[in-house]
Amino acid sequence: MRNYFLLLFLVFIGSSIQAQDAVMHASETATFKEKVITSAKATQTIKSDFVQYKHLDFLSEDVKTSGKMVVKAPNLVKWEYTNPYQYSVIFKEDKLLINDGGTKSKVDIGNSELFKKLNQLIVNSVKGNMFNDADFTVSFYKSSKYNKAVFVPKDPKIAKYIASFELLFNKDDAQVYEVKMVEPSQDFTRIIFTNRILNSTINDSVFNN
Amino acid sequence: MIRFLIISALSIVFLTSCALKTTEGLRQVDFIKVEVENPYFSNPEIDYVYKAKIEVYNKNFGGILIIKKTGIKTHRVVFTTEFGSKLFDFKFEGDDFTKNFVVEDLDRKFIINILRDDFKLLINEKANVLMAYESDNQSVFKTKSDKRYNFYFLDKETEKLSKIVNTSKTKEKVEIAYTAIEENIADIISIKHNNIKLRIDLEKFKK
Repeated sequence: MRNYFLLLFLVFIGSSIQAQDAVMHASETATFKEKVITSAKATQTIKSDFVQYKHLDFLSEDVKTSGKMVVKAPNLVKWEYTNPYQYSVIFKEDKLLINDGGTKSKVDIGNSELFKKLNQLIVNSVKGNMFNDADFTVSFYKSSKYNKAVFVPKDPKIAKYIASFELLFNKDDAQVYEVKMVEPSQDFTRIIFTNRILNSTINDSVFNN
Repeated sequence: MIRFLIISALSIVFLTSCALKTTEGLRQVDFIKVEVENPYFSNPEIDYVYKAKIEVYNKNFGGILIIKKTGIKTHRVVFTTEFGSKLFDFKFEGDDFTKNFVVEDLDRKFIINILRDDFKLLINEKANVLMAYESDNQSVFKTKSDKRYNFYFLDKETEKLSKIVNTSKTKEKVEIAYTAIEENIADIISIKHNNIKLRIDLEKFKK
């Protein structure tokens, strides 16, 4: 009897998840991809605020940090945390330029396969190329609120660090509004974007450390 | 006369090389305190979250250090990058130490041993007192752990723990300093190594 209830419960949970996120049909996927690519191609610059939540299963609350992100096509990206501390990272030509509360440093990512792939992914996302990345298996879901792309790494070296990551897209403008990176332990990082401004003029000097 | 000079010269060399500078200027006293306590990571209700800056051989790294008391004798210590990806995840349970996760680049025995010892000292809540010392404004308690000693410095007026110095018989190895202390939480903590060029600075997240 108890098992029967458990089964019923699982079926209910399972179906409620399905009700939220349905797998996209092939034709829907094609339309969705095209919309993302068109939207990305029309995007030269992005400025956005973000809030990051780090979830660890043993904590009572997620660790919350926030700041601003600036992207300029084709390959300039800046993440700037402003709360509760000052910290920024600029992705620029195979280098990471870091400013940790005034302590500046430079990391050559030319040698790091993992970083190279992550950087490539960010740049590809901006270009709208992210669904063609040979390093990930991508699947697509939809709900009433969003469209979702789930990336699962093929390379076991990357799979040791990332079980999957998910991009959530607005239904109307096909822009990413949430990124979720899930670790093999099921702990995860969620980044939610707000106050997005597209195609404003951004000077290259923003990307100097 | 020459003999006397040699003996005194030798004894100066011998004494100075053996004298631990930690207790310089302190006077040994009788003690009633059997145990010395470190309250800074002892509350299971609190998520202890710190911005960390690490300087190792003149290279700088940053990240987030997260500590939580998850059981009577258990602590989790997790270090992530600012982006949230884990660099290491340790569990301390009594004297047992478990590596839940370590990124490949850090997973070397000597690095893990240093991190294990530093964080064990940081979260250790109680130690038996071997000897006690004092100065005009500080009470100092000597404790033993394995082959090393720890000296706990308490401010006489506030009775708050301000410093732990980890030593061998003759040399200071690691120093943990606590500042900006409020209600058993140290907002600023620094861990400094004397035998290797490693320094970890921690600043608590403000709500």
